[in-house]
Amino acid sequence: MNSSLQEIKDKIGNNDDFFFQRDYLGEFPVVLMAFKTLIDLPKTKKMLQTNINNPFTINKTLDEFLTGIGEVKEQDSKEAISSIMEGKLIVYLENIPKFVIVEPVSKILNRAIEQPVNENVLQGPLNSFTEDKDTNIGIVRRQMNSDNIQVISLAVGNDQKKSLSLLYLKDLTNIDFVHKLIDQIKKNQDKELNHLQDLSKILGFSPWVAISKYHTTELPLEAVQFLKKGRVILFQDRLPFALVLPSLLWDIFTLENDRNYPLPLTIAIRGVRIIGLLMTLLIPGLYVALVAVNPEVLRIELALSIAQSREGVPYPALVEILMMLVILELILEASIRLPRSIGPTITMVGGIILGQAVVEAKLVSNLLIIILAATTIANSTVVGFQNSLTIRLFKYIIVILASIYGILGIVAGMVLVSAYLAKIKSFGIPYLNLKFAKDGIKSG
Amino acid sequence: MYPENIIASTSEGHWLAILLGVIIHFVVISVYMKGLSFFPNRNIIGIYSSVGKGTALFFLIPVLLYFLMVIIITVRAYSEIITIVFLSNTPLWAIMALLLFISTYIASCGLETIFRTGILLAILFLPLILFIFFVSFQNVDWRYAIPIDGNFQFIKKRDYLESFFAFSGGYLFLGFVQPFFSYNRKNVLIAAAVLIPFFFFSVYIPILTFGQATASTFFLPFVVAVDAININWLMFDRVTMFFIISLIAFVMLFLSLVSWKTIRIIEQFIPSIKPVYMLISLSVIIFLFCLSVPDWKDVEKLFWWNTILRFYVLIAIPISIYLIGIHSKRKNQHENI
Repeated sequence: MNSSLQEIKDKIGNNDDFFFQRDYLGEFPVVLMAFKTLIDLPKTKKMLQTNINNPFTINKTLDEFLTGIGEVKEQDSKEAISSIMEGKLIVYLENIPKFVIVEPVSKILNRAIEQPVNENVLQGPLNSFTEDKDTNIGIVRRQMNSDNIQVISLAVGNDQKKSLSLLYLKDLTNIDFVHKLIDQIKKNQDKELNHLQDLSKILGFSPWVAISKYHTTELPLEAVQFLKKGRVILFQDRLPFALVLPSLLWDIFTLENDRNYPLPLTIAIRGVRIIGLLMTLLIPGLYVALVAVNPEVLRIELALSIAQSREGVPYPALVEILMMLVILELILEASIRLPRSIGPTITMVGGIILGQAVVEAKLVSNLLIIILAATTIANSTVVGFQNSLTIRLFKYIIVILASIYGILGIVAGMVLVSAYLAKIKSFGIPYLNLKFAKDGIKSG
Repeated sequence: MYPENIIASTSEGHWLAILLGVIIHFVVISVYMKGLSFFPNRNIIGIYSSVGKGTALFFLIPVLLYFLMVIIITVRAYSEIITIVFLSNTPLWAIMALLLFISTYIASCGLETIFRTGILLAILFLPLILFIFFVSFQNVDWRYAIPIDGNFQFIKKRDYLESFFAFSGGYLFLGFVQPFFSYNRKNVLIAAAVLIPFFFFSVYIPILTFGQATASTFFLPFVVAVDAININWLMFDRVTMFFIISLIAFVMLFLSLVSWKTIRIIEQFIPSIKPVYMLISLSVIIFLFCLSVPDWKDVEKLFWWNTILRFYVLIAIPISIYLIGIHSKRKNQHENI
């Protein structure tokens, strides 16, 4: 037996789903190798057979025939193994030191293109990205249909290969930025890539930045629009969404689907999102500040009614609001964890606790429940779940500052948050790049 | 504080006093920018150093002192105002620590961050300030404006000289930002022009609300005038608070800008220390200084001392830059010939 054949067998032959069979291709003895779990074996064999029996192939030489069924390679067991891992069929010629990588009929291991799960679309195109990277690129090409799209694929990782694809438009994207991005990925090509934190490491972002540096979207419509704004889209294999780089502050407020409505409505919808962001940040802090530190700002009637609603509540406003905010976070977290059939239970129990029982037990004030509800609702208006998480975190800074300094603390918190946002940069492009966004508005 | 000084400096024809200040401001800015335009892509530290070490020391040390004084006075004065207006129970040091902490944080992130934060804050707080300016006309009685004819008696008054703090603080940064930013000279002048009405408003609103005789007795006339606003549909009783806090947001930004400039100057003379450590130690020193200022009288004393430095900065820096600029231009022409 051939040495490189032996090598392949030694390396992956112990797997029970490894398929190793001697066969004849016409009159040549060959070895077929593949993973049964990755390819549809009967269909693939049938395909090979039809290829052989094809009347056009009879008069061809062996070389011509081999190039007809797949990619011919010189003996290189490493490449053969990696092709097998990728789900290809290897046809190994025993007499000649060559093998052929055949594109087999693969088993369907991907889900179909479905409706988006994490984002809802109203009156817009409903398909969404799936786990398969190539399908995603295909969807983008179908959506955009332009010869301007440039796709660059890179493989990352030593032990397990993960492929990344970069998409951009040749004449709209800042080529400097694209080059920086590609260089950065190439420099760290040997690092493992399992999740977005790994990707951040590969791209050289600090892991301690509280804001997601990628804007993620599941919707091809949005992704294409970002391409048109001159952004780069990154697809990671097995991740069912597009990562948009660089991510900017304005992305939190805009969805391309807004533009399917008349312009005044678009502006109004975006205005609502901005109000949502400000409310999430300000309201809990304002409650603490007005109740605990600066009640004199309010009109006397209002101050009295607030004080009345807190009558009998045994602890300071900060403890009260922190406790309820934490419970709220727990509910949010729990409803993600639970299977869909039990999820409503959490909603119900949480609703009873938050809505009625806590107030009646005089543990928190009525007003706080309203504030909490408003905060949670407002929090969910921003685009992109990762952004709403960030805002949820910032809210606590403002609450704590407000409990110490009152209204001054809220302003200080806002200044801090603003400065923090202003500080963030990715590849030299600031997060607060308003001009970038403006260009987007013009072209969009 | 600006209106307080102006109102105290003259009893009639305040517009003349304001106008003179504004004109001086404009002249100074134009001379300064003209001077800077001789040196594209260089900041004033670089310009002075190119002339000689002695010159650099001679001009930059007063600027440095001035900046330090400005930070100390601003921090101390505003924390005093905050305690007076709304945080009467919070100790002064806590407020000063907060102001310094935030401005240090912003300054440590660099100039670009300062400017971008400025844009964000402007979007957030300017509407509020404008709104308050508009509603503050609510109690205005136009007859109080009447003795319109003015004279130049006010120039000799100490209060008037002190009022120049409003002009001298802002424009120096134009000389520092050069390698990082380029700006349009016309836009700067337009921005300065947009500010003019606010100088007038801030003086005239208290006067028109209370009359000269009453207004001159107040400690912070504009704040009192805003305090007198009563809007039925607003659920908040004290609009002043919103005015002050929006101002403070900008004060924090101003502080960070000034401390950034200070660090740039110190860096020129002691390049070995890392700027971040320098910034932190500077804030600690300033904090200690602020703690050692016992009450408002001393703040005013500091303020008066700083006036001398202020005029030095206001006059010497722009003119010297201008002269150096012309000088180097001539030299270049000679070399070219």
